[in-house]
Amino acid sequence: MEAGAPSRSSFGWRLLPLAPILLLALVVGAFVSGGSSIVDLIGKNPPPPDLFDIQRVEFQPNEIRIRARNPQPEELTIASVTVDDAIVPFTLDGPATLKRLRSSTIVVAYDWVENEPIGVGVTSSTGIETVLAVPAAVETPSPSAGGFFGYAVIGFLVGVVPIALGLLWLPSLRRADPKWLAAFMALTGGLLSFLAVESLSEAFTLQAQLPGALGGSGLVLLGVALSALGMTFLSSRLARGRAGTAGLGLALLVAIGIGVHNLGEGLAIGTSFAFGELQLGTFLIVGFMIHNVTEGLGIAAPATEARRVSFLQLLALAVIAGAPAILGAWIGGYASNDVLGVLFFAAAAGAALQVVVEVGRFVARRAPGGLRSGWVIGGYLAGILAMYITGLFIG
Amino acid sequence: MAAAAPLAAVPFAARYGLDTPAQAAGGEHPSHSAAAHAAMGHAAMIGEGAPAVGGPNDLDALLYPPAALPYKPGRVREYTLTAVDKEIEIAPGVFFPAWTYNGTVPGPVIRATEGDTLRVNFLNAGSHPHTIHFHGIHPTNMDGVFEIVPPGGRFTYEFEAKPYGMQLYHCHATPLKKHIHKGLYGALIIDPKEPRAPAQELVMVMNGYDTDGDGTNNFYTVNGRTFYYARYPIRVKRSELVRVYLTNLTEFDLINSFHLHADFFRYYPTGSSDQFEYTDTIMQCQGQRGILEIEFAEPGTFMFHAHQSEFTELGWMGFFEVVE
Repeated sequence: MEAGAPSRSSFGWRLLPLAPILLLALVVGAFVSGGSSIVDLIGKNPPPPDLFDIQRVEFQPNEIRIRARNPQPEELTIASVTVDDAIVPFTLDGPATLKRLRSSTIVVAYDWVENEPIGVGVTSSTGIETVLAVPAAVETPSPSAGGFFGYAVIGFLVGVVPIALGLLWLPSLRRADPKWLAAFMALTGGLLSFLAVESLSEAFTLQAQLPGALGGSGLVLLGVALSALGMTFLSSRLARGRAGTAGLGLALLVAIGIGVHNLGEGLAIGTSFAFGELQLGTFLIVGFMIHNVTEGLGIAAPATEARRVSFLQLLALAVIAGAPAILGAWIGGYASNDVLGVLFFAAAAGAALQVVVEVGRFVARRAPGGLRSGWVIGGYLAGILAMYITGLFIG
Repeated sequence: MAAAAPLAAVPFAARYGLDTPAQAAGGEHPSHSAAAHAAMGHAAMIGEGAPAVGGPNDLDALLYPPAALPYKPGRVREYTLTAVDKEIEIAPGVFFPAWTYNGTVPGPVIRATEGDTLRVNFLNAGSHPHTIHFHGIHPTNMDGVFEIVPPGGRFTYEFEAKPYGMQLYHCHATPLKKHIHKGLYGALIIDPKEPRAPAQELVMVMNGYDTDGDGTNNFYTVNGRTFYYARYPIRVKRSELVRVYLTNLTEFDLINSFHLHADFFRYYPTGSSDQFEYTDTIMQCQGQRGILEIEFAEPGTFMFHAHQSEFTELGWMGFFEVVE
């Protein structure tokens, strides 16, 4: 405020910023009270699509449970339910008429056939049928100590184990030539770039399946920004005033970046398995293990800078990068939430991108020949290629 | 609501001598609970468990035709049909924006005796141009094809009722598919001059509803409401002649069919001669029709339905309750 500003009206000045909000409220009130008269000037609103968002279909012995949500602003009523194009009697655990974004679970007594495709349909009072095709009906695991442990073991196998194994390259890397080391650091950058792109694409895919009311692509940006800024903050704390993060600090950043990705990966595995969309065969788990060994290598490369790395520190890095897969599998297997899925993968992209920047700065500072050396370029491309090739084991 | 507890069907099923839950569970599927079985299958689709709209006598005017009149020369049979747009409830909680004759889908049963003059006063109170096209023999200017009746317009169809048999009528305005599947159709019975044997007479118009506009039907019914005769079985007497006037006005699907359980009937195609087939299953394409005659030999609950399983499970299923 300028020196000459009158102090007597300072209270009034503070209220002034509220004026636009108050005026907005008035205008909105006037518009709403006018009903549809303004829209009527230009035409007629088309009827609402009246499609449900079928969030989850669970199979229990002789029972199918369908979670249906109303994704539109107008109310939506569950009137009829079909399974494989046959009308079935049903009960509801909530209201039949759903307000915006509310959901109810439809319970149907049904003798479904294991491992066969099945379609469930929910028809609104206006006769619009929303059909969800389930690729294979498989009994939905109910929370049990065994299942809980099982998801943990799978998360451990695809997350912690391969990363810990990859970290065992540390002693060999320590003895490597600085040029090679630079190449491996660049490789870390390459594989993190790969993860960033993969996560971002996954986040957008999941987001596209969300009902419009739950946010568009902006939700992905929110996840990316939150995690990238969080990682930047963390990185500046780890650098403690030095020019940039290096050594164990940088290894920790890489581990966190990979950890956030594995959270999403675990979530995807858990959800797909719970929905009968994914066969958790030996081949797939082995594929994930091979894929993730490269992530261990990526953490080991910056750790070579540290003078001494204890076994416990290595273990901690492996847990930070790998254990989120366990958490993700639990969430996906039992509580799968599509908004959470988008945020997780977006956060993974943001974290990976931020760490790529950190690694890039580090390589630029330390590598003989800087970012433009053939070793660095080769290493970066090798990182992307390694992720791509090992990724083929999963697809 | 359709959310009515399916278990409510158990006493009904037991009353009609269906498999009781305990029997159905049998020894074959020890893992399946008896309670779960009771709630599934056709046992869940009879009586209160059947998802049908309305009370027990709602469709009487469509099921029971007006009485046949003996032939009398020079008689005029006059009917008034008004086309109205009306939202109708076809399955519990499911509403269909129909185009109707006199507010129902199918429209009212029109009946005359061969040789009568049939006069149908048509008023179009709907929002689109409509007509009435009758099947039968009549002058082409009474055919409901070229004389399009605009909203608010009137037309009087007048012709001699012939030939005898089960006939039908429907709107012939274009787009034809839309005008038919929206609900503008009904049964037309022309009785022979020589009266048919006295019988418990019933009319069944098979149809479908495409409620989401994708060109395939979401619901199938007889006389307009899903599972209506499963909810309220049609009561007939044992050994008494039952005559069903049956026609198919299902749009989109090539054929529809009628299958009776546990007994046979005589099927007279179009009802226009004495030729019949002795069978328990017949099929009709759209516009085809015929007369079924049966004397149930035993009392009991006799299921009838389309022998397209999909149609059956989407609403086209019912029961005869044959009593002593």
